[in-house]
Amino acid sequence: MNRLKNKPTLRVDTAQTISFTYKKKTFKGLKGDTIASALFANGIRIFSRSLKYHRPRGLYSMDGECSNTSMEVNGIPNVNTEKVLLENGMQLKAQNVKGSPELDIMGFMGSLDRAMPAGFYYRTMHKPARIWPMALKQIRKVAGLGRISPDFRMTGEYDEIYPSADVCVLGGGPAGMAAAAAAAESGLRVILLEARPRLGGFFDYRQSEFSPGVPLHQHARELEAHLQKMPNIRVFKHTSMVGAYSNNLITAFQKGDENDDFEERYLEIRAHSVVVATGCIERPLLFENNERPGVMQIACAHRLTNTYGILPGKRAVFSIAHDLGIEAAVDLFDAGLDIAAVADIRQDAPNESLVAELAQRKIPYLSGWLALSAHGSPFKKVVLTTLQGTFEKKFECDLLVASAGMTPVTGPLSMAQAELSFDHHTGFFLPRSLPAGLFAAGRIMGLNDPQAIEASGRIAGLSAAAASGKTSETALSATRATLAGRPKADRGNNLVMAPVKGRKTFICFDEDTTVKNIKQALSMGFDATELIKRFTAAGTGPGQGGIPGHNLPLLVAQHHTDTGTRTRPTTVRAPLVPTLMATYAGTNHDMSKQTPMHASQKQEGGIMRRIGVWNRARYFSDDLSCRREIENVRTNVGMLDATTLGKFRIYGPDALKALQRVYVGNMSKTPQGKIKYSAMCNEDGCIIDDGVVAQKGENDYYFTTSTARAGTTVEWIRFHTRYEGWDFNMVNLTDAFGVINLAGPRAREVLAAISDADISNEAFPFAAYREFTVNGSIPVRVMRLGFVGELSYELHVPSSWMETLWEALAEAGKPFGIANFGLEAQNVLRMEKGHLIIGSESEQRTTLHDVGLGGLWDRNKKGTDTVGVVALEQTEQQDKRLKLAGFKMKNTDKPPKDGSIVVDDRIRGHVCIARYSHVLQEVVGMALVEDPLNEIGHELHIYEDECQGQLVSATVVPMPFYDPKGERLRS
Amino acid sequence: MTDMKRRSPVVFPFEIKKTEPWEHWTVVTEYKSEREDLWIVDLSHRPRWDIQNNALSDLKPLDFAIPDTPGQCRLEKGVLINRMNRTQASFWQLTGERFEMPDDAAFTDTTDGTLFLAMVGREVPLVAEKLSALDFLDPTTTSPRLFQGPFAHVPCQMVLVDKSDDKPGILLTCSRGYAKDMVAAIMQAGREFTLKPAGQTAFNRWVESLT
Repeated sequence: MNRLKNKPTLRVDTAQTISFTYKKKTFKGLKGDTIASALFANGIRIFSRSLKYHRPRGLYSMDGECSNTSMEVNGIPNVNTEKVLLENGMQLKAQNVKGSPELDIMGFMGSLDRAMPAGFYYRTMHKPARIWPMALKQIRKVAGLGRISPDFRMTGEYDEIYPSADVCVLGGGPAGMAAAAAAAESGLRVILLEARPRLGGFFDYRQSEFSPGVPLHQHARELEAHLQKMPNIRVFKHTSMVGAYSNNLITAFQKGDENDDFEERYLEIRAHSVVVATGCIERPLLFENNERPGVMQIACAHRLTNTYGILPGKRAVFSIAHDLGIEAAVDLFDAGLDIAAVADIRQDAPNESLVAELAQRKIPYLSGWLALSAHGSPFKKVVLTTLQGTFEKKFECDLLVASAGMTPVTGPLSMAQAELSFDHHTGFFLPRSLPAGLFAAGRIMGLNDPQAIEASGRIAGLSAAAASGKTSETALSATRATLAGRPKADRGNNLVMAPVKGRKTFICFDEDTTVKNIKQALSMGFDATELIKRFTAAGTGPGQGGIPGHNLPLLVAQHHTDTGTRTRPTTVRAPLVPTLMATYAGTNHDMSKQTPMHASQKQEGGIMRRIGVWNRARYFSDDLSCRREIENVRTNVGMLDATTLGKFRIYGPDALKALQRVYVGNMSKTPQGKIKYSAMCNEDGCIIDDGVVAQKGENDYYFTTSTARAGTTVEWIRFHTRYEGWDFNMVNLTDAFGVINLAGPRAREVLAAISDADISNEAFPFAAYREFTVNGSIPVRVMRLGFVGELSYELHVPSSWMETLWEALAEAGKPFGIANFGLEAQNVLRMEKGHLIIGSESEQRTTLHDVGLGGLWDRNKKGTDTVGVVALEQTEQQDKRLKLAGFKMKNTDKPPKDGSIVVDDRIRGHVCIARYSHVLQEVVGMALVEDPLNEIGHELHIYEDECQGQLVSATVVPMPFYDPKGERLRS
Repeated sequence: MTDMKRRSPVVFPFEIKKTEPWEHWTVVTEYKSEREDLWIVDLSHRPRWDIQNNALSDLKPLDFAIPDTPGQCRLEKGVLINRMNRTQASFWQLTGERFEMPDDAAFTDTTDGTLFLAMVGREVPLVAEKLSALDFLDPTTTSPRLFQGPFAHVPCQMVLVDKSDDKPGILLTCSRGYAKDMVAAIMQAGREFTLKPAGQTAFNRWVESLT
């Protein structure tokens, strides 16, 4: 590794080496290197092969505008090695290569370009249509960027933060830093995002002077030091903005370094105002073989030398269109690079002192010349030509530094809905109008003078601060005066293309799209840039149009002889920069609820299932029919954790009116000490919930809802009483109370063992509500219900007491054979009893009448405008509705699957639930079937998945199947 | 014989040094590896009430005044009262003996309905920032201040009790059922700052230092 040392601009630590592996060999880089710079320092020139033609690709820009240097790093494909810092032990692999990057056996594809014109696969592989699936397979085999192993697992932490700021500055170059400092001086909170691992932008690696005696790189460090002293500025380095949304929501991701706990971190920033100071990239120069390894942009060569201490070649030719190119040539010459010539497309604009510097060094300067073609693999010769192609010169060299000038990084502006139009003076797409709270500064506005760039940043920062409520007119006026005294925006270039046909002139490196392809698309009638983009795929690769984004619309405009300003860059979308899916996934906190009994239920063999937001015990053994759990409830006593039920307090002078509004029953007929079962319907009369209500005191009620409706009940009641001005209050007590369903013929004996209250059938009958204490301390609210068809008590207990009460019941129930039962057992038990669960035996269009609960509707309830009753009246006699029917299977012990369809000559309904009943010794179930198929005695034909046409039969029977007189639950 | 205990939904996987019985709860007063500068404490045993009334400002529960404006909070004698909206406030007893809830329909005991945590320390806003977009660092906010919104995707009530640079503190309540996942999310977010649990003693000291 030969590195330049002692350069003041260096950002690598030449004393600290880092090892990495590539092609089964160990290489060494330096601390501060990117993967790409380390590979380049070790002589690697071909990093990957291209998507379609398998052309060799190498280092071109250093900021990841294309996939040239995308590689597989530690098993992760498509890592842009220009943007990732080198770490010890990294395993690198070239991608899209069959063989080696230097000798790729698919390299012959490059000679087949004539067979693959623009959109060839759209046009050639669909006639006949059967060709396409075969062609698709073959194309997928040879194309694609990187492959991931199906069993690959991401390691590391992927973090996320949601910071807020008054001002968010995008870009940590001179304009961005100046903007951040200006905004922060007024005391506002500022967030600064910089995509590179360090601040400074294009000052960071330059030795030109900012002011007499102060080189740009030194000034950049001074600016950074100034920011560090301001506690109200948060700087996020190595952080790329990926999206901009309404109300100045900025999303970004940060790459972690060795001091961070994360690999990547997703940021979602809420800011009052945003400054875009993302600067410029270089506009690619279009000539034959313009993407060959050995061809690179000015800043790439300049940064390799000044930031990483690597001379990019031995003998170079420059083909440039900007003063930065001459500055780089001078710098690189002084660093030891032999420069054969500097061709400059401009004939009138160059900085004369810079040209004189070239002359001093005896570097030939060719004004009005540019690169025509690059030759050799490895690269060894360039042909230069005049603008008109009249004359040519050939140079032997191993490096061509080529650039068509600057072009602004407009992606963030586009995403933030700024209106861009083409400016003929700068050759830039400039923002003509900016949305409120959005400001742009620096090189993105066409400025090139360092002090003007900084002043424009400061103006943007002060303006952003003013938009956030901190106006500083004096400072703003002074800075505007400073800017007015500095050079204005430089004159730039429009489209720069060598006089070539364009067969190997690549406008998009990611997709191997050539200028010839664009011409083909135009000749086929694709006249809009966005259509051409899609037809030729130019700009649809991981670089998000970094290479073709501005050249493509300019080329199309040239074809249309459009000299106006209507030309626009192609659309960009989030993520602006390729991001790992793991970063978007983040830490993925899967937030679910657990009942107080969760741990002990698991310990006792509960098989937990996620049901809505809750985790619940579904089974307590491997026997999924739950025979023992069911039989124990029918013969002894069981306990079910029913904590997930919705539980509410509603109180106040108008509480009853609110209940009357949403419940179909007459809730005024709820005496204290009793419970009332009722249902809620929506405006269509369709049943949405059921539960019980108990009156606890005057205008004070306690009611339950189904688990699924618990989260929306308060809003539902508030919504349907919103215009009434009624005085009532509600408290959601769902989590405040645990619920134990103690059920079975021995339930009373168990409860009596731990309670002093009289719970005899006379004192505490069916449908009664009582409050008492258990074991002298535990306050319980007890409802005598019978959902599972047995004597049962629903004990509502403050959640912190739940485990203690459960343990007390379990202890007291031992002599009576008490055991847990889970959700599936409850499901079978209640089905046997013909009790329904809303959502299981109903669907979105099922009314109260359809499921046989019409009796709950009190038609005599006056003046309450109960939700849904108008629709109930209208649908009550409607025929051919889906009605709930109980059925018994014929000639089989195997229940049909829930959801199986009921058919005759067409679909007539579906099975809601069907189970083998161990108590009844047969398969029973409930189905929603078209009226009149629900009539008793009707035969249903059921079609199951994979039944191969063999329908099973069932007979409609009366419900309930078990204890039809209800004697057991009232006993 | 069943041990008559009330149980918190929170379990920190750290070694406990001291506990104390209180109102049937076993309260951890100190953990073995407590940090002075950044900690989280389980306050699920501390009594909490919901107060709702159309004329809320007329109520003065136990002589504590309810703040007038939604979002405002008042910390006094170990009691924090948070005005949630026009008709609703919450009453949290942070330290001291339990008050009897007034015999008034406006009050509902919600102690068992929520998880109750406090996080104290310089990096607390940075931990919070990893789980919520709520802006605890807003310099224009005065403390104590009530925030209502998502924290780790769960609807929460949070009070920024103190926003001093030295030891800012956030109290958090959310549905009790989320306790395990909420604690896990906070501990994971706090790992890079070495967030550790502390007992009620540290919390009492901190509350005392505020008044």
